[in-house]
Amino acid sequence: MNKQTKESPIVDVQNMSKSFGSTQVLKSVNLSVQPSEVMCLIGPSGSGKSTLLRCIAFLEQYSGGNVFIEGEMLGYNDNTDVRKLTSTNELNHVRRNMGMVFQQFNLWPHMTALGNVTEALVRVKKFSRREANEKGHAILAKVGLAERAMHYPAQLSGGQQQRVAIARSLAMEPSVMLFDEPTSALDPELVGEVLQVMKDLASEGMTMIVVTHEMGFAAQVADTVVFLDQGEILVKGSPQEIFQGEKPPRLEQFLKNYMDRNAFWE
Amino acid sequence: MTFDIQVIIDHLPEIASGFGLTILCTVVAALIAMVLGLFVALGLMSKAAVFRYPVRLYVEIIRGTPFLIQLFLLYYGGPSFGLYLEPIEAGIIGLAIYCSAYFAELFRSGFNSISLGQLEAAQIMGFSKISVLWRIQIPQMMVLITPGLVNICIILGKETTILSIVTVPELAFVLTGIGSETYAYAETLTVLAISYLILSELTARFGSWTEKRLSKYMERSI
Amino acid sequence: MLDFSTLPVALPLLWDGVQMTLFLSLMAVVLGLMVGVLMCLARLSSHYAVRFFAQLYISLFRGVPLLVQLMVTYYCLPLIGINIPALVAATACIGLCASAYMTEILRGGFLSLPTGQKESATMVGLNQFQVLLFIELPQVIRLTIPGIINEAILLVKASSLISAVGITELTRISQNLASSNFQPFEFYLTAAGIYFIINSMISAFGFWLEARINRRVIA
Repeated sequence: MNKQTKESPIVDVQNMSKSFGSTQVLKSVNLSVQPSEVMCLIGPSGSGKSTLLRCIAFLEQYSGGNVFIEGEMLGYNDNTDVRKLTSTNELNHVRRNMGMVFQQFNLWPHMTALGNVTEALVRVKKFSRREANEKGHAILAKVGLAERAMHYPAQLSGGQQQRVAIARSLAMEPSVMLFDEPTSALDPELVGEVLQVMKDLASEGMTMIVVTHEMGFAAQVADTVVFLDQGEILVKGSPQEIFQGEKPPRLEQFLKNYMDRNAFWE
Repeated sequence: MTFDIQVIIDHLPEIASGFGLTILCTVVAALIAMVLGLFVALGLMSKAAVFRYPVRLYVEIIRGTPFLIQLFLLYYGGPSFGLYLEPIEAGIIGLAIYCSAYFAELFRSGFNSISLGQLEAAQIMGFSKISVLWRIQIPQMMVLITPGLVNICIILGKETTILSIVTVPELAFVLTGIGSETYAYAETLTVLAISYLILSELTARFGSWTEKRLSKYMERSI
Repeated sequence: MLDFSTLPVALPLLWDGVQMTLFLSLMAVVLGLMVGVLMCLARLSSHYAVRFFAQLYISLFRGVPLLVQLMVTYYCLPLIGINIPALVAATACIGLCASAYMTEILRGGFLSLPTGQKESATMVGLNQFQVLLFIELPQVIRLTIPGIINEAILLVKASSLISAVGITELTRISQNLASSNFQPFEFYLTAAGIYFIINSMISAFGFWLEARINRRVIA
């Protein structure tokens, strides 16, 4: 499963650092994600994994280092002496390659599931309503929600809402999908349906970066697992290496806490 | 257009007395309205429907009709029932009635916002009903409703301008009177507007000062 | 003691007044909402000067009594050479006053939207204007319906003050009828009844609207 193709990476994070006030939450992080790679970011809460993902989406401004999405610099113009923020247009241009799924779904409550999926198709990609609806229905069917197209978010379960949110991102045909703890806000019995959609996506070759607490998912689906602690990448490797090999004490402790809760890895 | 401040200086004593009357009407009406409003609030929260429904209707009617019409009914309509009021009496009574409905709703929401659990806790510890009201309910309610209280007082203060229509010689009446005598509308109305801006601002400042003092001995939960 | 025998004759006149009152109130709500949205954006702007201007605007219109605002437009605008019909001036005045209150109501709505809504919209590529128009504003209007309805009721009541600058709306007509028939109590009571009915209808409409929207949008 582990693809070591050395074509240009889709996401390339070089020496990224980030501080909130005087606390440094990310310290010189290096990552690169190849096409079709699934990377899971794990780590204790406060380790900076969500911040890292939000910086890759430029929802937070990173303060040092560079991020390239499909070879394009994200968020800053670096061709001048002083680093300057790019214009919103340029930012959107780079972002068009990314889809993001949030912990809290962030669906728009005043639109139906179909409306949520098609809104950006109409407004950004300038589809006609009819084309957008056609595509929207197809994508909703793909995440198993063909029947729910005309439902409002409040009429859907958490798992269904998160699947709509995934469909909404997929509609824009991104080359990488970012998932920020997509199952953390869900009741345990609804987690499975969302993970299944994500597995399907992975097997179709979607490039994904997933911040998650679902160790089972990381073990089964990820090509690379990254363990972050206190803003630094402590270990990076295949699931086998992370979960079965020699581990530094911090990772050992972190995994033991999970193991004690539910045995997921034999 | 010329701006002649001399007109204002010439009529300063009248303006001052009008200003005084505006404050007087506001304060007296607010005090009566609060007392009245407390009783109305108790009526709104009464368990007996015979009390609750008529009081609810009173509140809805007062809040659903313009103050000007209420004032006209009291001042011009009162004599039909042998109720002869001086303009200023009608003004203060009218304002008090009008605002009592708003105060009542505020008090009611204040009482309702205190969680039942706290009252139960106090009851189990053996507090009497009076001391629960005095030591638990009222202190919390006061902090919660102070912003609303100040808001209603500001509205009440602004409503006093309407009393000028039934010839109460408050600030607006005095200044528009001077305006029509001397045609110095710009000067008089500017003074009027600025006076009210200052009054509203001072009331708001006083409100936030009170709020701070009150919440000192009670951490705000929101 | 009360004698309503002259009322049937007066009904057509009162109806004219009701129409004028409704027109003035409706215009005020529409104008208030439109200017309110703009002012709200200004109030939430990141530019200090823009924010300051909006704050000043709100303080002015909320701090000065409406009657005084009406008198200023009625007496002072002609002094600086602006001659507009009293009706237009009065409508503009009450509408701008309403906008100051609408601004604060809408601002509450904007602030209550979860930030994630905006983030998810940004991530699918909607620009700032599209986020405002298609994502935020429809939700803000829905969230603030109770406040807007409340404001509409206040405006119907406030429109009675326009009688003071000579516009023949419901209050002015009642005043005329009261004095020409020497029956103040009867006519003011009638006017009060009409205002009460109008406001009850607005309030009922608000409840209906809210229930209709909440049925599907809020769980």
